Amino acid sequence: MLPSFLQPISFSPLLANVHSYASELQKESSNLGFLTNSLVVAAVVVGIILWFAGKATKNMTLIPHKAQNFFEFVVEFLYGQVEGIVGAKIAPRVFPLLATIFIYILVSNWFGLLPGIGTIGWGEGTGFMSVKEVHDPLLRPPTADLNMTFGLSVSMFLVWLYITIKEVGVWGFLVHTFGPKGGLKGLMGAMVAAVFLFVGVIEVFSIVFRPVTLSFRLFGNVLAGENVLHTMSGMGGFVGSVLAPFPFYFMELLVGLLQAIVFTLLSAVYIQLSTTHDDHGHEEDHH
Amino acid sequence: MDQIKGIAYQIAGDFGLAWGKFFAQVIIFILVYTILKKYAFGPILGMLEQRRQRIADGEAKLEKIARDAAEAKQNSQAIIDKAEADAARLVKEADDAAKAIQERRQQDAVASANTIIAKAREAAQLEQEQLMSQLKREFGRMVSDATSRVTGKVLNTDDQTRINQETATQVSA
Repeated sequence: MLPSFLQPISFSPLLANVHSYASELQKESSNLGFLTNSLVVAAVVVGIILWFAGKATKNMTLIPHKAQNFFEFVVEFLYGQVEGIVGAKIAPRVFPLLATIFIYILVSNWFGLLPGIGTIGWGEGTGFMSVKEVHDPLLRPPTADLNMTFGLSVSMFLVWLYITIKEVGVWGFLVHTFGPKGGLKGLMGAMVAAVFLFVGVIEVFSIVFRPVTLSFRLFGNVLAGENVLHTMSGMGGFVGSVLAPFPFYFMELLVGLLQAIVFTLLSAVYIQLSTTHDDHGHEEDHH
Repeated sequence: MDQIKGIAYQIAGDFGLAWGKFFAQVIIFILVYTILKKYAFGPILGMLEQRRQRIADGEAKLEKIARDAAEAKQNSQAIIDKAEADAARLVKEADDAAKAIQERRQQDAVASANTIIAKAREAAQLEQEQLMSQLKREFGRMVSDATSRVTGKVLNTDDQTRINQETATQVSA
């Protein structure tokens, strides 16, 4: 029997009936079980990103054309931010990954705000081409699928582990995590070493749970945004369904940008914390 | 442990976590990462570096041009200063030379004028003497004529000579 605080939590939607999971498009086929509505949107998002990247990098000149100029602005801005956090030495190695994560999450978040995403699909029919409520949307924002956000954070974690081990080595990582700081000796030094050993154990837990915190933060924010928009869309008839969600679209635009920044910056900070050779405090993981 | 495992399974079930969906998402992400890294970020960063290098080169050239311009200005100023000094010296020399020439010419002119005046005086003196002697002769002749007419005597040469001398003496006085 589980203790009361670990009793199964009901994740049924509080407001609108937005599922907390992506719907499978081929429910009958066991081989295509991975094909979900969020995967379709993820593929579309990837297509859009690659199309624009191709357009921006085609016939590049020193005096950039519009698409090239915009892409250069984004890349230069992101590189400056990443370099400012992880340092000039590590930046070239981690920039492509962090930039891809930022762009992918941002486009996914904003793509999910387009009309039709999450609102066109299958449900209890009320007439020709109309349903009472969409139970299985045709399209779902990729970042509202935990498989996607968890996939991103696990990928990030593996890259973090690889860079950390390559930069400071296994022994360096262990010393960095468990080693006493401050240079105290004698009895005081032993006490401090015991404290840091304990802090190291907590730190290991913190590190192990990073993929979980990163993925659930992004997933939760986007899913909550979807819920809010769907709830607002169902209020006050046709006019209300148009006007009520309108302010929340701006908020979701901001949340989409903010979550992309948070995910990317936290990943950069994790890398920076484990690859610096001097003593730093432990990162705060309460965002 | 089993409880935690149970919770994990429940969470996975509630949020639709499944290996197939998970790997499908990871593969899509790796795909976009690989393509962007190779075909987008690389060329863009290369282009940015190229532009940065070009700007740095331009700034270096600009600094060199500015240095050369300052040097050229300094050189031209030195040349101008030297030319001005030379010009001033030449003007002074020309001025001195002109003054010397003017003085010499003035002296020559004064000398010439003095010579001309002296010659003129000599000529006037000579002419005066000639006129005086001619006058004396004429006056002596007239006195001789008058004396011969008054006395009715034909004067000999001695008389004429004596009368001429006396007349000339009186005319000179």
